[in-house]
Amino acid sequence: MRDWLYEPLSAERFGWMVLSILILLGVLLFLVTYAIYVQRKLLGWMQSRVGPNRVGPYGLLQTIADVLKLLTKESFVPTHADRPLYLLAPIVAFAPAFVVFAVIPLTDRIAFTDIGIGLLFYIGVASLSTLGVIMGGWASNNKWSLIGAMRAAAMMISYEIPLVLAALGVVMLAGSINLVDIVEAQRGVWNVVPQFVGFVIFLIAALAELNRTPFDLTEAESELIAGYQVEYSGFRFAIFMLGEYVYLFAMGALIAILYFGGWLPPHPALDFIPGIVWLVVKTLFFAYLPFWLQATFPRVRIDQLMTFSWKVLMPLALVNIAFTSLVKTIAGGVS
Amino acid sequence: MIRTEEMLLNVGPQHPSTHGVFRVIVKIDGETIVEATPVIGYLHRGTEKLAEDLTYTQIIPYTDRMDYLSAMIGNYALVHAVETLMGLEIPERAEYLRVIAMELNRIASHLVWFGTYLLDIGALTPFLYAFREREKILRLFAELSGARLTYSYMRIGGVKWDVPDDGWLGRVRRFIDDFKGALEEFHTLVTGNEIVQARLKGVGKYDQETAIAYGLTGVNLRSTGVAYDVRKAKPYSIYDRFDFEVPVRTEGDLWARYLLRMAELEQSRRIVEQAVAQFPSGGEIMAKLPKLIRPPAGEVYTSVESPRGELGVYILSEGKPQPYRIHFRRPSFVNLQLLPKLLVGENIANMIAILGSIDIVLGEVDA
Amino acid sequence: MYGTGLLKGLGVTFKEMFKPKVTTKYPDEPFEFPNRVRGIQKLYPDKCIVCNQCAIICPTQCITLKGKPHPDPEKKGKVLEYFDINFEICILCDFCTEVCPTEAIVMTTNFELATYSRDALNKDMQWLDANDTNVRELNLPWRQTSSSS
Repeated sequence: MRDWLYEPLSAERFGWMVLSILILLGVLLFLVTYAIYVQRKLLGWMQSRVGPNRVGPYGLLQTIADVLKLLTKESFVPTHADRPLYLLAPIVAFAPAFVVFAVIPLTDRIAFTDIGIGLLFYIGVASLSTLGVIMGGWASNNKWSLIGAMRAAAMMISYEIPLVLAALGVVMLAGSINLVDIVEAQRGVWNVVPQFVGFVIFLIAALAELNRTPFDLTEAESELIAGYQVEYSGFRFAIFMLGEYVYLFAMGALIAILYFGGWLPPHPALDFIPGIVWLVVKTLFFAYLPFWLQATFPRVRIDQLMTFSWKVLMPLALVNIAFTSLVKTIAGGVS
Repeated sequence: MIRTEEMLLNVGPQHPSTHGVFRVIVKIDGETIVEATPVIGYLHRGTEKLAEDLTYTQIIPYTDRMDYLSAMIGNYALVHAVETLMGLEIPERAEYLRVIAMELNRIASHLVWFGTYLLDIGALTPFLYAFREREKILRLFAELSGARLTYSYMRIGGVKWDVPDDGWLGRVRRFIDDFKGALEEFHTLVTGNEIVQARLKGVGKYDQETAIAYGLTGVNLRSTGVAYDVRKAKPYSIYDRFDFEVPVRTEGDLWARYLLRMAELEQSRRIVEQAVAQFPSGGEIMAKLPKLIRPPAGEVYTSVESPRGELGVYILSEGKPQPYRIHFRRPSFVNLQLLPKLLVGENIANMIAILGSIDIVLGEVDA
Repeated sequence: MYGTGLLKGLGVTFKEMFKPKVTTKYPDEPFEFPNRVRGIQKLYPDKCIVCNQCAIICPTQCITLKGKPHPDPEKKGKVLEYFDINFEICILCDFCTEVCPTEAIVMTTNFELATYSRDALNKDMQWLDANDTNVRELNLPWRQTSSSS
């Protein structure tokens, strides 16, 4: 698959590309639909409830019913909203979450694009979704969504930095920002072992980037009602939600690739299981972890959030980088 | 030069964290509150005026609907005032039933507070755990009084129903024993959580003078170091027979109020435990009364300790079956008056936490 | 250590996943209320002696009733002409059953009152007579206790 990416484009090949994009889209939509179902089931079980069980057997069609409901609702734009921005915001928030999937390699053989700056591309594009959130919050012309959007701006910018700094440790170990190379560099031992501090920082910052509990301040149901989404309904709201969940899977895949050896099995003896299964299992684990946290933790306050980012995570990430480079230099000097 | 402006933000009456139809108009500078104006009255039904046309017995269902989370205590506050005015002797069995009902209700009420408060600060699960436990109490109440929320269980001179003869007391006993484990679970899940502590410690502070000047009662007062609990200060019913403590803290912040309510859950549990153990084996549940209740002319003020503070009832009687004037001193209403002062300088997240910690019931604020 | 509380909390929610669930299956399965629960009233029109006590004690004045002379001229007393309870304002406080000297009006544990129109909530004598499932066994507790104990 990687090979034909570099061959000249023909009509046939273009057709295959479009088809594979559609397949990826379909797989993602399916995953998201059932991610919401599994989330609600897990939350239900953790709260001594049974979760959705009304639509279809075991409630399996619940999310589909919800999506259909959202799609058939009136497409409503508030009178005093900034119309163009209001309509554009869900797309801007949603598109980057999808685009980042392009650079995530599924195995060493299957990747949609294999660009040298994979990690950089991912982080750069993913941060664009903040823009959609701010646009939506501003254009709604609602005070609650404005506060939510301002929180989103402050939060996402300050957590982007520790996120990137933590990932730098991995990059230094692998000596590359190509995601395939990063996975290949973990053949001996997964990065989570030498980079444990970096992993914890990355996980926390990723939760903040994803707006998940305990960092769900931009939505903050009990404070801001729904934050930047207050005025959104129908399919625009659905697109916001979709973007959020797709991003969740993208982040799960990235964590699996950066710290848990991507498609590599935990032990070479387990090599007979295909790499893609390993990646999917790891991705799902990290995509569902936030739901467990959501069932357990309260929300932090905005000032605590900022303090935590700038005064704890940032210095820790810098120390992590310094330490990693020190180890690498000494190890390099010895050998 | 950047021009900054303050913004008026209307919180409520439809807002998930105002616990009913309560509205605050806050002037915010960024996220910092400069000024807060509470607006109340959305649930005003004119209970006190309505009561002037009702007989004393007919007022009982109205007390259910003031503080609907602790209707048993509302019932008791009214019948206790009428009984004091009439100088009635209440049968012992009725008194024990009342105490068991009131203290179970206090547990149920604090459980609602615990759940919704954690919901306010963003934790979803404790709410359902708290309601799981409360559901058991509501079931017990449905078996005892025939209702899950608006009990109307107490009557002037006693209680309406005797203990159900299918082992109700045993089920209370079992609940009380199991509740220990639930409390431990709450403490593991919530009290030990560092995020909860970070959210609550040092926020929403006021001192003892302020608390007394504003007439705060209940946990809101006890969190500043005043050990005032009507059950101890002016003992009523048979509370002098039970061994329980009045938890007091001195910090005066949200964390102190959180810990006090959790401690009160344990104290109420202990009272029910003792009341079930001492429960008399026989006896009447109603005092001998004329068919039409007509207290002598005069006035009376009695108060009881509701989960929210001192719930007082003032009755001015002219010797008729209806009161000439009845007034309820509703603790939620009194405690809420401190809110505008507390909110200044806080941010929106703290506003929700502070409002929740005062523990208001809008049915009682607006009456 | 900072963070142990968070981990313990995660343990609590994780364990809860495997515990039995507490939700009931209403409306698939009917919800059983204890027998004392105050639901919709049941009326025995034959027992009623038109003493009006229920209408007087009602705190919300939701009961309207009127009597007429007994159709059999041999017998004294009155029988019901109409008896309506307006469930828009009835608060199910139980006072009407408490004052009724003949137990003509009693409680049932039926509670499903939802209708599509407000007028349908005004229940008349025939409807209340037909509402004869889950009738409460004991309606005058004081009388019962004074005789039994």
